[in-house]
Amino acid sequence: MKLPSGRLVHSRVVDDPGSALAAALDRELTGYAVLEPQETLLLAADARGVLTFSEGVPVLAYHTETDRGGPPALADLAVPGPYRLELVALSDAVLTDLHDTPALRVPPGMPAERLAGDHDLAARTRASAPDDRVRESPGGDADSDEPAQESAVEAFLEDEGKIEAIREQAREEARERASEWGLDDVCE
Amino acid sequence: MVEAFAVASGKGGTGKTTSTLALGMALAEEYDVTVIDADTGMANLLFHAGLSSVDTTLHDVLVEGGAPVEDAVYDRFGMSVVPCGTSLAGFEAAEPERLRDVVATLAVDTDVILLDSPATLGSKSAVLPIVLADRVVVVLQPTIPALSDGLKVQEYAHSYGTETAGTIFNKVTDPDDVQSVAEKSRRYFDGPTLATVPDSDAAREARRAGKPLLAYAPAAEAAEAYRGAARDLDVRSGAADDVADRFRSAVIPEPR
Repeated sequence: MKLPSGRLVHSRVVDDPGSALAAALDRELTGYAVLEPQETLLLAADARGVLTFSEGVPVLAYHTETDRGGPPALADLAVPGPYRLELVALSDAVLTDLHDTPALRVPPGMPAERLAGDHDLAARTRASAPDDRVRESPGGDADSDEPAQESAVEAFLEDEGKIEAIREQAREEARERASEWGLDDVCE
Repeated sequence: MVEAFAVASGKGGTGKTTSTLALGMALAEEYDVTVIDADTGMANLLFHAGLSSVDTTLHDVLVEGGAPVEDAVYDRFGMSVVPCGTSLAGFEAAEPERLRDVVATLAVDTDVILLDSPATLGSKSAVLPIVLADRVVVVLQPTIPALSDGLKVQEYAHSYGTETAGTIFNKVTDPDDVQSVAEKSRRYFDGPTLATVPDSDAAREARRAGKPLLAYAPAAEAAEAYRGAARDLDVRSGAADDVADRFRSAVIPEPR
């Protein structure tokens, strides 16, 4: 997926993908979001998730490292934050071409459900979606190598390497901060 | 006997305060329970417990020459409740390391202490409840950010010598789905899954009414889930004096 250049409208570090989705929805973004996990421990350095939006409602999902699109890309994208989030605005015309990629499409509420487990946000997103998209089926990749209903949360919990990396990082952080905070004696 | 639990999640919005008060009320059927709002920066327990207009809170106790802790203890819903104020000035003036003495004092006269803990691990005052507690109850939601933050809380707790008492999955919208998530997460979290609590309008209404869930809607499914959690929590006995001594001797961070 080659991303067209556009106007950068928002750039910040967010804790979870739900914040990215909410930011795009609240701004009624037409364009795309790039999510770059800051945890290089967990992922290859060039791993990025891309979601496109039409008036704040997600249309496509793509993951640069796994080269998967649609719902499987959401599973790839579902890693712990923080992320660097960039929202880029594009013209309708540019986006219409990009959106002619059925294999990458995701139903409007699915990113909020899968990435953030946020049912309120998913409902809000569906309410903003045009009628013809509310019942949209997932993109063509959905059935190729992963059941559409696979839970991103379960996939996360099955990735023992990723979990161990999170734990090890937390242990290191706890130790470092203990010494910073004068808690050395309680550290085990 | 006294055991102190930190109710923690490392992430906001998981329903920690609702869980703390619900667990407290359920445990109060068997034990003498004291609930402390240890989230001194973002206190909200007072709103959940109908204590938003009280004169003395934990903030008034955590300052030099401040009020005696007894003045900030309120008997509500069958528990002793220690609310914290919400003013920024109160937070800035408070010396969080004094929490150790507060817990030590209250430990003398209670069976179970629940510390409603901050939704962050980013400061000395935020990790203090986890350091002071015997064990931590990790409040999770079946989402990746919540599980990831829950894992971090547990690692911090273990690094500081605090064990895991168990986990609570809160705000669950799909009970079938959560079973398999809870099953898979058991590999990583110590202790039992104490409860899977359904997402509930009753919990939101209770908060608006300024009452704990178990007082506002005792028959709600969510309330029953917390009673189940209380039954499954194996409260360990420890001599009150030992606990008080331990808190007093705990190594506490320097004042901010």
